[in-house]
Amino acid sequence: MKFGKRLKLQIQETLPEWRDKFLSYKDLKKLVRLISSGTSTLGKLHEPCKAEANFVYFLNAEIDKFNAFFMEQEEDFIIRHEELKQRIQRVVATFGPNGSQPSEVDYREEMDRIRKDIINFHGEMVLLENYSNINYTGLAKILKKYDKRTGGLLRLPFIQKVLQQPFFTTDLVSKLVKECENTIDAVFPDVQEEGRIKERGQKEASMVACQGIFRNTIAALVTMQEMRRGSSTYGQFSLPPLNLPDSELIQSFQPNSPIPIL
Amino acid sequence: MRKIMEEYTTLSFQRLGARQLSNLVASGAMSSSLPVLPTPLEEKYPKLPDSQQVSLEREIMANSVPPHATQLASNSGVVGHMFSSASGFTTDLHFSSAPHERHFTNAPFISQSSSDGISLPLTRSSHSGVFQSRPMSHYPRENNNISWSADQLQSFLDFPENVPTQNNQVESSNSGIMPSDDNTKRSDWQEWADQLIRDDDPSTPNWNELLADTNVADTELETAYQAPKPPQNFLVQQPQVHQQIPVLSGDLSSVASPSSSVTGVPNKPRMRWTPELHECFVEAVNQLGGSERATPKGVLKLMKVEGLTIYHVKSHLQKYRTARYRPDSSEGSSEKKMSAIEEMTSLDLKTGIEITEALRLQMEVQKRLHEQLEIQRNLQLRIEEQGRYLQMMFEKQCKSHNDRLKTLSSNLEESSAPLLDVMQHSAKNEVEPTKSCAETGNDIMDASAIPEESSRKMSRKQKEPESHSEDLNLEGVSGSDSPPIKRVKADDRSVASAKLASD
Repeated sequence: MKFGKRLKLQIQETLPEWRDKFLSYKDLKKLVRLISSGTSTLGKLHEPCKAEANFVYFLNAEIDKFNAFFMEQEEDFIIRHEELKQRIQRVVATFGPNGSQPSEVDYREEMDRIRKDIINFHGEMVLLENYSNINYTGLAKILKKYDKRTGGLLRLPFIQKVLQQPFFTTDLVSKLVKECENTIDAVFPDVQEEGRIKERGQKEASMVACQGIFRNTIAALVTMQEMRRGSSTYGQFSLPPLNLPDSELIQSFQPNSPIPIL
Repeated sequence: MRKIMEEYTTLSFQRLGARQLSNLVASGAMSSSLPVLPTPLEEKYPKLPDSQQVSLEREIMANSVPPHATQLASNSGVVGHMFSSASGFTTDLHFSSAPHERHFTNAPFISQSSSDGISLPLTRSSHSGVFQSRPMSHYPRENNNISWSADQLQSFLDFPENVPTQNNQVESSNSGIMPSDDNTKRSDWQEWADQLIRDDDPSTPNWNELLADTNVADTELETAYQAPKPPQNFLVQQPQVHQQIPVLSGDLSSVASPSSSVTGVPNKPRMRWTPELHECFVEAVNQLGGSERATPKGVLKLMKVEGLTIYHVKSHLQKYRTARYRPDSSEGSSEKKMSAIEEMTSLDLKTGIEITEALRLQMEVQKRLHEQLEIQRNLQLRIEEQGRYLQMMFEKQCKSHNDRLKTLSSNLEESSAPLLDVMQHSAKNEVEPTKSCAETGNDIMDASAIPEESSRKMSRKQKEPESHSEDLNLEGVSGSDSPPIKRVKADDRSVASAKLASD
């Protein structure tokens, strides 16, 4: 499957408000085709430069879009992360065994809610990282196409610039994700009977898989794996194939997957 | 920051305009201050065939063109975002109105240069201070930009023969905005250059001085178009411009991006929040009696963070309030997500343990994706780093080799040593400059063992079809440099033998 198609599928699976924030890969491809056909017919010196300038302009507009969306989300995540931590503390302080109004029922209920929320929060953050990565990949591809079709030297310097953009520098989000994972470990009860519980969990999870974030995550993993399979244009700048240990399990979560759910 | 960028725009075109932009295409007009990449290429390949010359010149033109792109931007709030959906579009229509255009004008620039600021907050200048200090001077230039860029757009639209839908859209919307007719492209360049020259600022002479320093110029131009050097160089080296601009505290790193805010206020650069900054914010809010009672102004005052504007605080406060009083419903979709899982769980699940386990599984999958993304990202960084490193080495070796050739020929002129003569002849006849670069390219390949090996390993993993490792490495050096590399590849063996012969 070509990147454009994969990207489209990803976008379909993504959270609704994110749909228009992705790279307009198809349109950029059209532009590249336009430019390359234009230069061959005209051949004047001004035209290729202007065409390239326009191309760069559109790319920059896309990058601005990514940056704006990314930073907005990042800001949200910072706030929510802090709030979740506060919330947990409050619940423990109120309904916990040493709290002001200890109540096991309430405690469990609240903790259940917190667990759900925090997992979803974690999922969203990871999906933002995925957003960043998939857009970067798209940019790299379109630049490669551009250079190939127009004989330009745009790719190398431009990609260096992209690497430093806010939307690609996901260190903060990554840190938040790790912190979140620690919090989650603290909030989840210890696993006692791993095997049995995991089985049951899988069944429920497959039902849950219809739900937005989980589904999106699965889609992202599958996409990543497939994109990195051998392609006709493997080169120095391509990534090696992805080997996920539970790729079968992950595939089974996809709706209408050929692999039966146990 | 915007002030700096605009002045830089002005200045770089001053210099270029002075030389008549249309003549820039002739390679002779290149100054030493132009970007590192095209210049050495130009020097190294004086005898390039036409196609290569074209691509080089194109590159050169393109490098002189970035502000051109920004000019286009000023008019094209419509054009630039015609790709995005309606929701995105409304945001951008915002920018097609006059007061906002200048910000959009700088969009490409700022996104490029200001991104550097992320990693180096200490040298970041305050955006708000900058904007407020120069409100009026933008206007004359704006009008010029508008009239010029519309023409440019028209001429660009004329140039592609097959016109897809996007062009039609552009034309119709363009005609809606600008009633002017076509001008010839050549006159556009001249006009534009003249306008920029007319928009002289008293502070630009400083820029002239500073730009004379090639280091600075390289940094600036690189910032505009290519891999940006650390911005400290850029900002620190022009202290004059910074007089009115307070330096940000270490907490803050702001990024100017006009496409960020939609609140109808011009000059609103986007702030990149950090947890520390947020903590500071929360403290201030608590001091003022909580999120409901605190006002943006009060919070701003209490926080005492340079470069933070009331708009930043306002929007952040809004988000904060939403997060507090509707936990995890700050995005509407999260509510939907939660109700979906609640439905399913109430229907099908009996015990809390099962829900928990389902969540645990979800967590595992998410964790997996996160890991893989991190790995992928690091790989991507390394790949590009390597490509850049090899490219750099290649160029360095080319340069030094050509220098050697030059000294060789000058020695030849001085003395009439037969040995040198022979070497010179063999160098001239068998090894052309491009080939000699390939030769030194091979040298680099041998010298830089580690990156070479890792690149070979990676390419082997990727089942690289080519078996000749040297070809591989050369390809990696300049992945997009197809014409020179092809030549090099073809002459690989002859180069190697020539090298052996001259040794």
